[in-house]
Amino acid sequence: MITAEEWERLVSAALVGTDRRPVPDLLGQAAAHTVGARAGQRLQRGEPLPAAPPEEQSLVPRAAGERVGRILDGEQPRLLPEWLEAAAVRGYRLPPKLVPRVLDHGARDRSLRAPVGVLAGARGRWLATLNPAWAYLLEEATAHMTSGFSASSAPDPAAHSPSGGSGRSGGSEEEEEVEVETHQLWEFGTRGDRLSYLRSLRGSDPARARALLRRGWEQESPEDRAAFIHAMADGLSMADEPFLEAVLDDRRREVRTQAADLLTRLPASRLGRRMAERAAVCLTLAGNRLEADPPPACDSAMERDGVRSRAPGGTGQRSWWLQQLVAHTPLGFWTHHFGRTAKQIVALNVGEWSREVRLGWERAAVLQNDPTWARALFAVEPLTDLLAVLPPAERADKAAELVHDQPVDGQLIMMLGGIPAPWGAALAKAVLEKILDTAGRQPWNLGELVRLAGERVDPSMHEVAARFSPEPPVQEVAATLRFRFDMLAELEPRP
Amino acid sequence: MLALAPDASSEKGARSVSTPAKWSAVGSAPDVLWGECKGSGSSPYRACVDLSEPAYRCTCPSRKFPCKHALGLLLLWSGDGVSPAEAPPAWVAEWLDQRRVRAARASATTATVAGDEPSPSEPGAAERREAGSGDGAASDRRAAQREERVATGLSELERWLADQVGQGLAGARQSAPAQWQELTRRLVDAQAPGAAAAVSRLPRVLAEEDWPARLLGEYGLLNLLAVGYRRASELPAPLRDTIRSRVGFPTSRDEVLAGRTLRDHWDVLGRRDEEQDRLVSRRVWLRGRTSGRPALVLSFAPVGQALDTSLVTGTSIDADLAFYPGGSPLRALVAARHGGAPAEPPAGGGVVAGPPVGGGLMTVPSVDGGAVAGPPVDGGVVAEPPVGGGVAGPPVGGGVRAALAEVAAALEGDPWLESWPVVLGPVVPARRGDLWILTDAASPHPASGDPPAVEGMPLHPSAGLPWRLLAVSGGHAVTVAAEWTPRGLRPLTTWDEEGQVVVL
Repeated sequence: MITAEEWERLVSAALVGTDRRPVPDLLGQAAAHTVGARAGQRLQRGEPLPAAPPEEQSLVPRAAGERVGRILDGEQPRLLPEWLEAAAVRGYRLPPKLVPRVLDHGARDRSLRAPVGVLAGARGRWLATLNPAWAYLLEEATAHMTSGFSASSAPDPAAHSPSGGSGRSGGSEEEEEVEVETHQLWEFGTRGDRLSYLRSLRGSDPARARALLRRGWEQESPEDRAAFIHAMADGLSMADEPFLEAVLDDRRREVRTQAADLLTRLPASRLGRRMAERAAVCLTLAGNRLEADPPPACDSAMERDGVRSRAPGGTGQRSWWLQQLVAHTPLGFWTHHFGRTAKQIVALNVGEWSREVRLGWERAAVLQNDPTWARALFAVEPLTDLLAVLPPAERADKAAELVHDQPVDGQLIMMLGGIPAPWGAALAKAVLEKILDTAGRQPWNLGELVRLAGERVDPSMHEVAARFSPEPPVQEVAATLRFRFDMLAELEPRP
Repeated sequence: MLALAPDASSEKGARSVSTPAKWSAVGSAPDVLWGECKGSGSSPYRACVDLSEPAYRCTCPSRKFPCKHALGLLLLWSGDGVSPAEAPPAWVAEWLDQRRVRAARASATTATVAGDEPSPSEPGAAERREAGSGDGAASDRRAAQREERVATGLSELERWLADQVGQGLAGARQSAPAQWQELTRRLVDAQAPGAAAAVSRLPRVLAEEDWPARLLGEYGLLNLLAVGYRRASELPAPLRDTIRSRVGFPTSRDEVLAGRTLRDHWDVLGRRDEEQDRLVSRRVWLRGRTSGRPALVLSFAPVGQALDTSLVTGTSIDADLAFYPGGSPLRALVAARHGGAPAEPPAGGGVVAGPPVGGGLMTVPSVDGGAVAGPPVDGGVVAEPPVGGGVAGPPVGGGVRAALAEVAAALEGDPWLESWPVVLGPVVPARRGDLWILTDAASPHPASGDPPAVEGMPLHPSAGLPWRLLAVSGGHAVTVAAEWTPRGLRPLTTWDEEGQVVVL
């Protein structure tokens, strides 16, 4: 074996040529060195990795793990989100070998990140520290929220701290003194963990959740503030009004807008009253006609209350302001003010501004989550967004009617896309009939409807679908339902 | 079970036909399954599977092998969808008879070379077949002729190499590739296809940063081969065999099978398919549980046609292997397999994986707690092997230093060696800048205060970031099967916390 220096001399001799720089048996020496180097290979130094912490969740059942492997390999790829959701709800973790591919999916598709956060387990978080592309995982909620924890359970006494330490909220009003214990998930969890904790607490004790939020409000990042304010929607009451009113002065627009949207759901709120005053000027009842007079300007007070002053391209400014103003006025105001029902009001003739007013109401019905108005408005214009406000059973009935009456087109697909799974028997039947009916005439139109039906219809109906008709599109729906049925069954614990 | 599928689309197809509704007249008898599957044609396709091999037959026109019907039938069976029958129908019996007759004929005659390494660039392929049949004087004459041609070709190679280093390699990047092409062609004409292939692989060296040193090394090894051939009579027989096979003299299948065989439980460590000149070669690496011997089983098929699927990664087969002669024998043929297929469908859907089988001898690396003794198979827990081989837990691994020593010993027998399968374990991955190494799990941690450092074998740079390996390991001990190459390890397989095989 020769030294590295000698080898370098040999290489440079070979580059120049042994005719000019003679070396005895250069090729023989080269072979000896090469084989010697291979046989005498030394170990290389490296940096050890910290070991991943032990897993706390149980592994998905083997059959389920194999199925998601196949989904990742391209079998029924559109069912990946459903599998991830279903497995995450049960608090499972993925087999480690699948974690990198699932993390890649989460990196591309934000909507998958919450379930991926649970399923990745300790191993996923360990991997995320090694790969910046997966760093998003460190923000997601861990399995703690799904594995038996609930915010109403006794908080960790070790993390208890006296309340009021930093108890200044952004508001001028004094919050009633509520004893707030802190939980370590709230103190040390990821953003997703904290949000889940807040939601859970809000569900069981809205006042305590609000007090918890107010205490550290000033220190939260704008992203966290926007996420947390959204969680106030659950259990909203006038008790939240002072805090939300104060949040209208937040530095972040997203946070302000969210607060304003929530306040429109409280007709007695100061924002609600201010909007009502403005609305009363803009819309007046004259017999069976509504006279509209759009606001001449959008002042800073209106902007503070959530009206956007800048109209999107193609929309006239006053038209935009009118629409926004109606959208941010508590819907209860109209019924009270005009002394008529939502259905009657919607039927009123509004003349040249009818479109703006209707758009405003539609937006308000969604923002304020008002089924009565949504129902009235849907009768005039069947918008998918309005369906989302209706109770599930009514929503499915309305959708079934539409499916029955309308041809398979983009609008119908979009409407159905807004109906969350699982679709019950009536809607399923309407859709299957539609598929069968269309298969004979316009089979090329069916692709998306067939896929949607397979993904949304209650999977326990797979046998019903299989018997419904031997037509291939119907059988395709049945096959997807069967796949989902098996997929969900595999995730259930064995008896 | 789906590991048997030749590709992903077959796998998908197989699932689609694995529902009972698609099948009629299905049945099973020990070692054989059959059924009729409704296809697009008027008459159903008849598929049957001989479980003892496994071997497949189907009347469908698919060129995939096994086809989706045969696979679907297997899936159906593994899902308990096939009930045993008294006796197979006539068409199945007929096929089984044909197979029996063929098997008998194959073992009776010595003329078959099917499945042996075909080399499209080698004009001697047909000739070799004749040579195998041993036709006295004529074949002796042909053999002598070939020796002469090879000798001429290799001495020309020796001269050419001497000229190259005489003139200097500085201009090699510009001028050499054209010359290598010409040289390859001439070596093929000289009936030295092995040497020709070595020359044709030279261009990849030029892509390296240290190409002058790499090229000099490669030229040195080529020269060594030519010199070795010239002076073969002075060398020991095993090295002479190695040289002859590296040069490209074929060894017939029968010659190999006639030699000594080694029976062992062979763990199928992994496989790699490579395409070259419209021909796909499949390398399957094995390692004997008792002997510790590594083996490589090669098979070939034209692009688009199915490769040999009889060796399934993660399984273990009880078989006699016959090794090709050489200084460090690696390439082998499966001469005989012992123990038939199970009569019952494998548990759990029959996918190739399962709890580790074995007594207390085996060490199963546990991801969460270092190496622990493998669970002994008792209390009615019996791992049911899938078709064609037993499910195996991780094979017994060795430390990285032992692996280096093993490679060094192998290089002693075959200095041209560029690939050798090793099983490392328990090992952990560690970082080396942008590269990764595998280091013994038990390697002592340096005293606190020192920069933490461990020593291990590097992974091949082309392995990139071994995310799957890292995910399975999580910084804990694992067993890893890998292909050693002069540039680093190419990971093949590892085993997860449940003892299931994970292909890397």
